[in-house]
Amino acid sequence: MGIEEFLFFVFAAILVFAALMVVTIRNPVFAVLFLVLAFFTSAGLWLMLEAEFLAITLVLVYVGAVMVLFMFVVMMLDINLAPLKEGFIRYLPVGVLVGVIIAVEIVLVVGAKNFGLDKVVDPVGHEAGYSNTKELGRVLYTEYVYPFEIASVILLVAIIAAISLTLRKGRQTKYVKPEQQVFVRKEDRLRIVKMDAVKKQSAAEEE
Amino acid sequence: MLESYLPILVFLIMGAFFGVAPIVMGRLIAPHRPDSEKLSPYECGFEAFEDSRMKFDVRYYLVAILFIIFDLEIAFLFPWAVVLKEIGMFGFLAMSVFLGILVIGFIYEWNKGALEWE
Repeated sequence: MGIEEFLFFVFAAILVFAALMVVTIRNPVFAVLFLVLAFFTSAGLWLMLEAEFLAITLVLVYVGAVMVLFMFVVMMLDINLAPLKEGFIRYLPVGVLVGVIIAVEIVLVVGAKNFGLDKVVDPVGHEAGYSNTKELGRVLYTEYVYPFEIASVILLVAIIAAISLTLRKGRQTKYVKPEQQVFVRKEDRLRIVKMDAVKKQSAAEEE
Repeated sequence: MLESYLPILVFLIMGAFFGVAPIVMGRLIAPHRPDSEKLSPYECGFEAFEDSRMKFDVRYYLVAILFIIFDLEIAFLFPWAVVLKEIGMFGFLAMSVFLGILVIGFIYEWNKGALEWE
């Protein structure tokens, strides 16, 4: 067994372990952290396949940005674990049924019949000057230019959806604008009312 | 191919060393006499008055998702910049349209005030 094969099995074992922990661990924060580990190890696997750009993008975008978002979501949901476990037995048959159907569908579609080892060409090693980023760029902006533009439209939809869902109208906090506060004059705040002097009438004088 | 990652492995080992060594040294050298008061959680010197699993303001989420979108946008720029000479004017125009569509979103979020924290 060569060193590359050994590294592959190490990465694959860590990846499977991390993915299992993501779905089984109780604390959602730990689940997110295990997802980070899964992303890192799959980035390692991609590096071994000489897909360097995808590996770095996975770390930059997923670990750097998407997991931050996942953390926010976990924090925002304010998950209390006790009510989540309520009715576990009652919903178990439905859950098992749905799970089995999904598993059967996945096996039928991505099983060995369609994605077996004989269906996939062996990855070949490349010469020293090979650049995965260049290969990607050559086809992404010419051959696949239409899906590329669609990606920008999807990102635009995401921007508008996020803003319209989360942006609240008006200001949440009240404060004085400093530039207005500096230039405030006496006339803006103070009103002098001219009126005649009136002697206060006491109850004793009225009688 | 794996040999070219040897410098990165060295960096990883050195980085892990410089991260772990101060913790280990602090544990070994510093006096270590814990009691229940020292180990109890506190915030700014007094007892914590709420659970740490509090709800975040939804505005943090908005900032994070806007950051992700523009992060993805620059991820598309890297391979484009590498092969710009080969794909020529067509590739340049393709990226111009891509950036143009996202600038619409940028103008929208600017005008909506999504970039202001208050």
